[in-house]
Amino acid sequence: MYGQSKPWRAPLILLMTLSLTMAALAACGSSSTAGTANTTPIKIGVSLSLTGDFSADGIAFQQGYQLWADAVNASGGILGRKVTLDIVNDASSNTQVVTNYQKLITVDHCDLLFGPFSTKLSIPAASVAHRYGYALVEGAGGGPTVFQQGLNNVFDVSLPVANNLVSYTQWILSLPPSERPATASYATQDDPFTQPQIDLARSLLEAGGIKTASYQVYPAETTDFTPIAQKLLAANGDIVILGTLLQDFTAFATAFKQQHYNPKSIVATAGPDQGTAFLSAIGGTADAEGIMVPNGWYPQQTTPGNQAMVSAYLAKYGGDINSISSDVPEAYSVGQVVQQVVTQVGSFDQAKIIAALHSGSFTSVQGPVKFDSTGQNNSIAAFLFQWQGGNLVPVYPASSDPTFKTPEYPRPNWP
Amino acid sequence: MNLIIDAVITGVLTGGVYALMASGLTLIFGVMDIINIAQGALVILGAYFSYALEQHLHLDLFLGLLISMPTMFLLGVLIHSLFIRPLKQDRTMLSILVTFAIALIIEGVLTILFTTNTVQLQAPYVTQSIKIGDFYLSYIYLYGFVLSVVLLAALYFLLYRTRFGQSLRASMQNRTAAELIGIDVNRISAITYGIGVALTAAGGMAYGATTAFFPGSSYDLISRLLAIIIFGGMGSLSGALIAAVGMLVIEDVTAVVWSPVWASTVFFILLVAILILRPQGLLGKLEGRKQ
Amino acid sequence: MQHLRKVSPLVWLFAGIAFPFVISDPTYTTIAIFALLFAAAASAWNIFSGYTGYIALGHAAYFGIGGYALAIICQHWQIPGGYTPFYLVPLCGLLAAIASVPLGAIALRTRRHTFVVITIATFFILQLLSYNLRSLTNGSSGIDFPLILQWAPGFYNLPFYYVALLLTVLALGVSWFVRHSKFGLGLLAIRDDEDRALGLGVRTGSSKLIAFVISAFFVGMVGAVYSYFLGSVQPSFTFDALFDVAIALMVFMGGIGTLTGPILGSLVLESSQQYAALNFTQGSGGLYLIMYGSLFLVVILLLPQGIVPSAKALWARYQATHTASVLPDPSGSGGANPVARSAPGDGMGLATPREEAKA
Repeated sequence: MYGQSKPWRAPLILLMTLSLTMAALAACGSSSTAGTANTTPIKIGVSLSLTGDFSADGIAFQQGYQLWADAVNASGGILGRKVTLDIVNDASSNTQVVTNYQKLITVDHCDLLFGPFSTKLSIPAASVAHRYGYALVEGAGGGPTVFQQGLNNVFDVSLPVANNLVSYTQWILSLPPSERPATASYATQDDPFTQPQIDLARSLLEAGGIKTASYQVYPAETTDFTPIAQKLLAANGDIVILGTLLQDFTAFATAFKQQHYNPKSIVATAGPDQGTAFLSAIGGTADAEGIMVPNGWYPQQTTPGNQAMVSAYLAKYGGDINSISSDVPEAYSVGQVVQQVVTQVGSFDQAKIIAALHSGSFTSVQGPVKFDSTGQNNSIAAFLFQWQGGNLVPVYPASSDPTFKTPEYPRPNWP
Repeated sequence: MNLIIDAVITGVLTGGVYALMASGLTLIFGVMDIINIAQGALVILGAYFSYALEQHLHLDLFLGLLISMPTMFLLGVLIHSLFIRPLKQDRTMLSILVTFAIALIIEGVLTILFTTNTVQLQAPYVTQSIKIGDFYLSYIYLYGFVLSVVLLAALYFLLYRTRFGQSLRASMQNRTAAELIGIDVNRISAITYGIGVALTAAGGMAYGATTAFFPGSSYDLISRLLAIIIFGGMGSLSGALIAAVGMLVIEDVTAVVWSPVWASTVFFILLVAILILRPQGLLGKLEGRKQ
Repeated sequence: MQHLRKVSPLVWLFAGIAFPFVISDPTYTTIAIFALLFAAAASAWNIFSGYTGYIALGHAAYFGIGGYALAIICQHWQIPGGYTPFYLVPLCGLLAAIASVPLGAIALRTRRHTFVVITIATFFILQLLSYNLRSLTNGSSGIDFPLILQWAPGFYNLPFYYVALLLTVLALGVSWFVRHSKFGLGLLAIRDDEDRALGLGVRTGSSKLIAFVISAFFVGMVGAVYSYFLGSVQPSFTFDALFDVAIALMVFMGGIGTLTGPILGSLVLESSQQYAALNFTQGSGGLYLIMYGSLFLVVILLLPQGIVPSAKALWARYQATHTASVLPDPSGSGGANPVARSAPGDGMGLATPREEAKA
């Protein structure tokens, strides 16, 4: 009878093999968390974009999370247990991010979850975490849409992105009328992270009497920025406000240089905050001079844990303080907040953690953290930063901190 | 009005660079009937090649091409003999899969070597510019355009004035017949693929000097390059040049007259309209060869 | 013999139904949902591209229309999360199908490479519209689906899984039906030689368009379910150019123009890719791309015709040798005619009988 064909065998064998493999894998995954002995490391699950469109930020986030884990373990861990990071790659794909958080929760049985990078990936990640009652604390990806879903389990430790440029508008409007710019030009990527910032800045500046010379929205895939730059040039606004990431900021800077366009002030939502990556992309310190960017953090800040983080970064990854991307403290702050809330709650009960996150006040390398009802942190002030003499220094709001410098205005012409 | 003239000028100059990047693609298709999806990734590889030469050996971007183009030529011949030549049947479709896999591998290698940070090629002439009317024109656009024209002219010469070109065009017209009259089609194919890849070294340099890039930049690029060679007529060099210039001029003018967000839409709608009227593209041959 | 052949698909179906009970971990059912949705889309794509030989690389447009249609309907009529959106999925497929009529008619005026590029161009036009028609699509921020709060985490994936399975079975069924109909024969004739098919009386124009619309209908439904499962639609993800590449790769890997190839290709490719991303990416993402690309190259170069045709060839060879060794055995259960046996015994009960008959 062996020669007789049995068409039902193939699927059955496949199913059995599959189930055995999966069961074995599940066993592997759970074996490390089996038992509740106090010595078992705490497993923290994260999905990060290590490849694809968001990978530059994803890798910087990995560094931030890792530095925090090293620091915690050096000081004895959380609740007497060491922490391990369980990082999986989502390749910047929203499909993969769903599978990843699912796996971190049900296969790896992670005790805690940290958020991914990017607003676009936070939404699917948050809904998976919500299904299982997990808190999802994140450091970037706080575009307004994430918090409009009505989820109670998402927390962003960084300042709400829409408010990023508010300090810049305050500074501009605080200038004496004789110096104050009369017109402003805006250009932003069509992106849920950048465009809300530009729109808010525009409405604030218009309310302050500064006319809009030009307002341009361009698609995220744009490669040829010359025509957009030419329109800005033709509008000749006194200041230029850009809703960019590093890649398009570089393109604008190059186009402005080529066109000899020298606005009195240039500010960008992101790009100039990327340390040496920014300097090498733009072509050196002379080119960077006077360019502004809002941010919640600077290396010399005296916030809790900041000096330790900066020196640990330099020891582990080399470079100088300018090479630290602002993604690093954003990720580090996530760890700090979670550490405080778990210590406060005294367990890994997610419902209690979520409740405590909503009610408590925390500290981070970026400053104080207090969440509003939607999970956004409104207690951090956005500093305004400017590249001066090869360093990114905070310039506004004025402070007694010696790191703070006077804003250069107008910025020098391109070299 | 001035804005429109400016947009046309930049469109023509950047179009030249796109033509250079697309020329390899259309040449490879013409000779081998394969669609080289890896072309976008190879352009980015070429850009990183120039970047590495500039960063480590402080070589001028254009001088660096003397090293990068021959190296990329050899790489192309290698890729051809390892992965393209073994494809016997259904070459066109299988070549899409194979070259897509090659593109993934190139992206992976670049990610490991250069990280995923955005870079742009730096040279004095990238930011310096000359004034024409009330409008500044960057030297890199001019140099890039001149480079494209010179290389495309050289390619034209190679195709139409040399014995190799004769064999190559014979292989383009009819592979089997070419084999019958004693042309080593495999050798021609390998060299063509090598030339196509070597051209991406130059195209990548010009692209990298005008645009910031990272290892994943190839995805946006390849769809535009494919659109260009179909628009121009597959296998036609001058068609690629006209199509590339046309594409960039249409997009740049739309961007300044209307809005950047509609630039590509307008181009694609025009593309569809033209292809319905002329399915073979602007300068393509009417009847496709039998596979 | 004959009834065993009919049993095999039922066993596969049973395996599909039983899967979430055998492997109940939501991580694996999540992967299975994605794999099945891709299988349905690949199978539908194959009805057009596999049978007619016209390679369409713009079906992501119909995926996106389906996803956006469901999101907009849910938002506009404030439909709560739960089962209701599933009932609207066929409507979303229908909307995608309606959109595909003019787009397909335009694209099908051309052939070969021009056709490929026009389909790509229609995809880009629709993606750009999803960015730019802000009042309808909410621009780059996209639209969120209603949350499904009432489903327990262990149960959550099951409705999606069975809907995905249903779509796959339907797509496969339609594919089988088309394949065995006069209409399908016409499509295959177009693939072999369109001009001759026309000469033989095949109404090539309408046949191609009907196949195109059928595939768009299924891909639209897949887009709706897929987006609902992810929880939101966004232009860059819902209109994803890589979707087309993925579908084409899956179909080619499994065996283009075959019945089961697309299903097998997508199950293997999507689950292995998700699995690889989960497990082999510690540290450097670049390595993952290199490994994935290399694996791809090896499969294409070793199995250029796809898994199903290559496996069939291997099985035939195995059977030939196996039968030879069994034949001398006198206790062999009579009547087992080796020739008759080799046809149904390919372990892929659904595989194309017509091709085998030719062989």
